[in-house]
Amino acid sequence: MNKNQLLRPARSWPGLPTSKSLGSFGDTNCMEQLLVHCANAIENNDATLAQQILWVLNNIAPPDGDSNQRLTCGFLRALISRAAMSGNCKLLTAVANVHANDLSMNNHKFSIIELASFVDLTPWHRFGFTAANAAMLEALEGYSVVHIVDLSLTHCMQIPTLIDSMATRPEGPPLVKLTVAGSMEDYPPMLDLSYEELGSKLVNFARSRQVALEFRVIPSSSSNGFSSLIEQLRMQHLERAQNGEALVINCHMMLHYIPEETLFTNTSTSSLMEITPSNSSLRTMFLKALRSLDPTVVVLVDEDADFTSNNLVNRLRSAYNYLWIPYDTMDTFLPRGSTQRQWYEADICWKIENVISHEGPQRVERLETKSKWVQRMRNASFRGVAFSEDAISEVKNMLDEHAAGWGLKKEEEDIVLTWKGHNVVFATAWSPV
Amino acid sequence: MNDSAASGDSSSGNQTAPPKATAKKKRNLPGMPDPDAEVIALSPKTLLATNRFVCEICNKGFQRDQNLQLHRRGHNLPWKLRQRSSKDVKKRVYVCPESSCVHHDPSRALGDLTGIKKHFCRKHGEKKWKCDKCSKKYAVQSDWKAHSKICGTREYKCDCGTLFSRRDSFITHRAFCDALAEESAKTTHTVVPPPDEDPIVEAVASSSSPPPPPAPSPPQAPAPLPVPPPTAAVSSVLPVQNPELPESTSPTPTATQMLVETPPVTNLTTTSCSSNSSSSSNRSSSSNVFASLFASSTTSGSLLSQRTEFADLFRAISRPDCTPDIAPSSSSEPVSLCLAMNQGSSIFGTAGQERRQYAPPPQPAAMSATALLQKAAQMGASASNASLLRGLGIVPSSGSPNGPQEWSRPQIDSDGPSLAAGLGLGLACDGGSGLKELMLGTPSVFGPKHTTLDLLGLGMAASGGSSGGLSALMTSINGGLDVGVAAPPYGGGGEYGGDDMVRRL
Repeated sequence: MNKNQLLRPARSWPGLPTSKSLGSFGDTNCMEQLLVHCANAIENNDATLAQQILWVLNNIAPPDGDSNQRLTCGFLRALISRAAMSGNCKLLTAVANVHANDLSMNNHKFSIIELASFVDLTPWHRFGFTAANAAMLEALEGYSVVHIVDLSLTHCMQIPTLIDSMATRPEGPPLVKLTVAGSMEDYPPMLDLSYEELGSKLVNFARSRQVALEFRVIPSSSSNGFSSLIEQLRMQHLERAQNGEALVINCHMMLHYIPEETLFTNTSTSSLMEITPSNSSLRTMFLKALRSLDPTVVVLVDEDADFTSNNLVNRLRSAYNYLWIPYDTMDTFLPRGSTQRQWYEADICWKIENVISHEGPQRVERLETKSKWVQRMRNASFRGVAFSEDAISEVKNMLDEHAAGWGLKKEEEDIVLTWKGHNVVFATAWSPV
Repeated sequence: MNDSAASGDSSSGNQTAPPKATAKKKRNLPGMPDPDAEVIALSPKTLLATNRFVCEICNKGFQRDQNLQLHRRGHNLPWKLRQRSSKDVKKRVYVCPESSCVHHDPSRALGDLTGIKKHFCRKHGEKKWKCDKCSKKYAVQSDWKAHSKICGTREYKCDCGTLFSRRDSFITHRAFCDALAEESAKTTHTVVPPPDEDPIVEAVASSSSPPPPPAPSPPQAPAPLPVPPPTAAVSSVLPVQNPELPESTSPTPTATQMLVETPPVTNLTTTSCSSNSSSSSNRSSSSNVFASLFASSTTSGSLLSQRTEFADLFRAISRPDCTPDIAPSSSSEPVSLCLAMNQGSSIFGTAGQERRQYAPPPQPAAMSATALLQKAAQMGASASNASLLRGLGIVPSSGSPNGPQEWSRPQIDSDGPSLAAGLGLGLACDGGSGLKELMLGTPSVFGPKHTTLDLLGLGMAASGGSSGGLSALMTSINGGLDVGVAAPPYGGGGEYGGDDMVRRL
């Protein structure tokens, strides 16, 4: 592990809330070490050791402690859950069976209005929204019919502002065809509204802005690389090319749910193997399929971390050294004890639990770093498109509305959202070579 | 409403730009100067300097010499205004001194001095002007003044009553708010559809007017996963929209119908959990597991409520020895508890003097976890039973109301056996995440022989009576002790201390 790189000293930020109780015991490195020891013990079936470390961790990481303690507590719970699910502890397994109904994590189902204000609290999603919308608007300039495929974790939350911008285009608004993947999996943030209703609201809104919007849902699953969505798009490909219609694919924190290579190296799930010919992963195939659709632009926004290792300890370290960021930022936009904060933390805990407790196809949080995605896109014959000055200044203006720790980094054609200098989310735009 | 974005403000220096017909319209692109212009590079100091020209009489400063000269007239001093002959007007452009800035390049220079000054302040200067109302910060005072005048007046208000300071937020909210649906429902009903519309579309319009129509009963897609039905439901909308249509008339003709099929219900995550157990809920929250495990009567899911259950559990365990409501300070046993708590804190950090008397010399961190814990287990075997249990039994009554602070409070630190100190480590704070329940378990399921075999020390063995359970408990507690003993290297001053902490500061 490249821990040295992760531990580079960060600048101090005057005026920002810091973790007050970073007393010596709360040293994050100590907690990380204990978590690693514990994970090793669990993997080695060393029950006594695991139990003892869990005990210690429990004492130094209360769920209502400072941000690092809460982060550690999330991992602790995930480790316990992993231990309970591994079947080594029969009592826990038995109880889990009996109380199956109580066990599902309490991730909040957002109303659409709640979700709108929720994603508005932090640049975590707004960064991608702003950058992607700007890139799409530019790519769509001059087209009178545009087809937007929104593969977004956030349930079309960036579409209203995109529609609004298109309504005021100098050349007049285009006809917008919006296609979303009606995902069969439900990842947080979860929405308490069907896509049909969501679509009707969007159509209604577009109408109020004098934009004609067609909305449709294609039931599709990230677990098979959105194959049905791709199939549908492929069928319209010819027609689209003849009509001179633009096609943009907006991928907002969604593609990392598509299985990648590591899923097949140590699982025996033969059903998935059948879908994937040779040694190509679904993720690779998906990008190739996208490329074959000859899209006008593809925008890819995702979290800049690597959760793909098959080694639990590596994954734990990687996740621990990334997911402190949402915890650390939280104090800047949500008061302690607020309901929204509980929702927010529960959604992070869902991630932690998925990365730590699960294996195989159930482990869906398979983030990859920006450099890996860039490589993938290039391998699929895409070429990076730089964000324009305007796009970047829009993102900067957006960041100005948030806490001082957020920053923007330009890396070649791409832009990266940073928190206290650490990479958080990257945004990239691509067009066919 | 459509042409507002076409022309940006052209304040900065593009008046000399060659009127090239660019295929792509770029908004607001500053700096396309005359190639003949004289390029001026000013230092940051000069750019930031205000009032460089100072009157020697009254010390009043001016940004421009011209203004100083005018001012000098008032003092009856000699003054001289630079005459500008129309001939030698040489166009000047200014570049930004910041080398990473796009306006550093002469081809993107700005056309006037004020422009470059403001640019430099805005983009590379400190934002020291802060709006009292909305906390927005500005680098240029005039920007701040302009904002202050309108701050609060430009709030966006949705019909539902919610206020927004940012347009983006408002737009997103507005799109999904029922207020919009209601409003357009009204307009839909009051406006007669234009006669030349396709009757089919009219019909659709009425059906889709809000409140949103109940989704057409979703037919279950028959096909299994890999080959999804090519259904997806296309909405019917007029492909061409007349932009001149006033808002009130537009809804009807563009009404849309959506027939969307719900996805076939094939959920990968529900198929099998890796263990032999489990239904759809393999994302089990550990707290729930333990809540249900040990507080069988309750079904709490929230973290906070764990505490009380935890306390109950302890009460149950400690019942034979002492009443649960004993206050920590009211008997002799609690002394060891309180001491323990204090010690627990020192082991993980505060490096109290007491620590030295209990802790062995710091061990290399590498061997800490495994080797020390094994050693600990041996030590634990010889621990005295009764005092441990008493100390343990009292924990809930003192720990639960006060929470994590408890352990760091220097309550009684003068006496008490070292064993109790170690015990305190294990029980140090009332974390409440459910782990304690796990560790302590219900006595009946504990079997001493299982502690090293069963993960987490929980076995199905029915053999353990309550005494057996207690000794198993004790073993694990002593494990806790030894982790604690091994812990000093983690703490302040150890290999793990100090320098890495800055990472999150």
